[in-house]
Amino acid sequence: MEKSTAKKLFWWGTIISAVIFLGLTYDTLKQLPKRTNSTDLTPEVIAGKWVWQEKNCNDCHTILGIGGYYAPDLTKEGKLRSADWLKKFLKDPKAIMPEPRQMPNQHLSDKQIDELVAFLQWVSTIHTNGWPPQPEVAQNEAIASESTEGKLLFSSNGCTACHKINGIGGNVGPDLSHIGSTKTPQWIAQQITDPTSHYPNSLMPSFKTLAKTQLDELVQYLSNLK
Amino acid sequence: MKYQTQKLAYPYFILATLLFGLQVIFGLLTGAKYVWNVDPLIHILPFNVSREIHLNLLVVWLLFGFMGGTYYMIPEESETELYSPTLAYIQFWLFTLIGVSAIVGYLLGWTWGMPFTEQPFIIKVGIVIVALIFLYNILMTVIKSKKWTTIQGVLIAGLVTLAVMFLFGMFFMKNLSLQYFFWWWVIHLWVEGAWELVAASLMAFVMMKLTGVDRNVVEKWLYVEVGLVLFTGITGTGHHYYWIGTPAYWLWFGAIFSALEPLPILFMVFDTLRMVREKHLEIKNRLAMDWAVAGTIMHFLGAGVWGFAQTLPQINKWTHGTQITAAHGHFAFFGAYVMLIITLAYFMVPQLKGLKEFNQKKGFAVLYITIFFMLMMVLALTVAGTIQVYFQRVLGFDYLTTQSYMHLWYAVFFVSGIGFVAGAILYIYDFFTLKQA
Repeated sequence: MEKSTAKKLFWWGTIISAVIFLGLTYDTLKQLPKRTNSTDLTPEVIAGKWVWQEKNCNDCHTILGIGGYYAPDLTKEGKLRSADWLKKFLKDPKAIMPEPRQMPNQHLSDKQIDELVAFLQWVSTIHTNGWPPQPEVAQNEAIASESTEGKLLFSSNGCTACHKINGIGGNVGPDLSHIGSTKTPQWIAQQITDPTSHYPNSLMPSFKTLAKTQLDELVQYLSNLK
Repeated sequence: MKYQTQKLAYPYFILATLLFGLQVIFGLLTGAKYVWNVDPLIHILPFNVSREIHLNLLVVWLLFGFMGGTYYMIPEESETELYSPTLAYIQFWLFTLIGVSAIVGYLLGWTWGMPFTEQPFIIKVGIVIVALIFLYNILMTVIKSKKWTTIQGVLIAGLVTLAVMFLFGMFFMKNLSLQYFFWWWVIHLWVEGAWELVAASLMAFVMMKLTGVDRNVVEKWLYVEVGLVLFTGITGTGHHYYWIGTPAYWLWFGAIFSALEPLPILFMVFDTLRMVREKHLEIKNRLAMDWAVAGTIMHFLGAGVWGFAQTLPQINKWTHGTQITAAHGHFAFFGAYVMLIITLAYFMVPQLKGLKEFNQKKGFAVLYITIFFMLMMVLALTVAGTIQVYFQRVLGFDYLTTQSYMHLWYAVFFVSGIGFVAGAILYIYDFFTLKQA
């Protein structure tokens, strides 16, 4: 090959790839507002994005799968956990998740917490082509077992962060796989609404803001775990 | 060394070497947090601060290395003294000042909070000014000499792209997906575009000097090499656009183009080996030569093989955002850029110091130690990442429970890291004590 041929190869290769890339970029920028629900980008969400950056959350947590690998990915966190749980956690991470690996308290104001939660909730609505993937085993298990209201409440309130049921969940609090065989429904209800009444030093946060019907569903689900 | 102003490269290499040492120490501190979950430094140096310093020092010392390599090369390529030594000094001190301010700022919690581009806006403006001074000085030297070589052309194209792409990471965007879309123009189009051009050009220069292979042959293959890099690399950016809110066609374009990305790197390996085979000179600096050859092979393994392993969307869906990415990151940066800068240092610094021959024993020890321990680190992170993919992504275990299963491999990673740091310290010692043999 002559040097002049090599030079042509260089220019054509570069130009072709750049044209394809810029063309797709143009189309992507047109589609992005819809795919990311940009109409929901309220001033609160935008302020939340800045809280996210200002505190450098991204060098511990990944979001959209990018960032530090020291803490969980938060792409769908706004959907997985209730706003109430997230706010409690951000106020005092150690109280909610007293694991050895800690998130330092960022000392956010209530306003900043609201903004950050609004940001995470918006992020969770971004259309990510199906990422993160649904765990295959958990998915099969979900299909095989009946999905009750109580079970959904158990995960949406973040109970799985501390408690394990049938091998899935955290190990901060006790394993609840057979809780129904050792505790009465009344005891369970009281533990959920007022944990310190049983154990004065309990780290478990109170979930007394749950509606009566929700509490009943949750207690029923747990009591059936035998 | 033929021109006085080539000496300006020396302070750049000194600072690159010192910052390399600091970078790996912060790496060790960051890695320790995975091993000892209860972090005694949580209020002084939490993980995010430690990581941002580790990442930023990497980028800054590599840039110092590129700048040093460029200042050494450009007068010799252009056959003239550098346009302005004063500007080169101003650039050096300004960049040092900016670097120090950024690191001190991070320790005090002053950050912009996007990985790799954590520099607050004002610091970024400073970096742009440094880049402009640098570019101006290099361009004026080449214009003054009226001698254009392909090696210069590729270098300048790389430097211009490097400066322009940085602009896309400077501004706050309301939409996270959009912010990340352009963030990749800095990150990907730097490491798989602009930096590859700069590196290929410097490498071509070093290989030409070491082997005495004809310029026309070197430059012909340089064209092919960077042509392939840009053809696959530009649209290959698409492999970062699978899951960030961007349309699904990126799954196709990203997959096809990035699957081709190992080709130019494989080509570089053959090209380097071919030059060694066809050498016209007796190779005097065996150390620089071995670093160069080993570097291209590690570049291929780290960027090519470890990158390819997870670049297809069917796999990336499971591995994205896990320690598999960290394994690839460490391996690729080491093979593609760290080894290149050390090659440049072992080729250029003895000449800057006026040494005809120097004792190469320690330099070879550094080569073996750093490669061995980097391979161990990468394997440990790869196993940790595989466990993470299986437990967390496939089985659906929660994040922290999965981390506990990865613990052993974090320990292997950390111990290997200590070995790597030992190699880096030996390198620093060798760098400052190079003597006539």
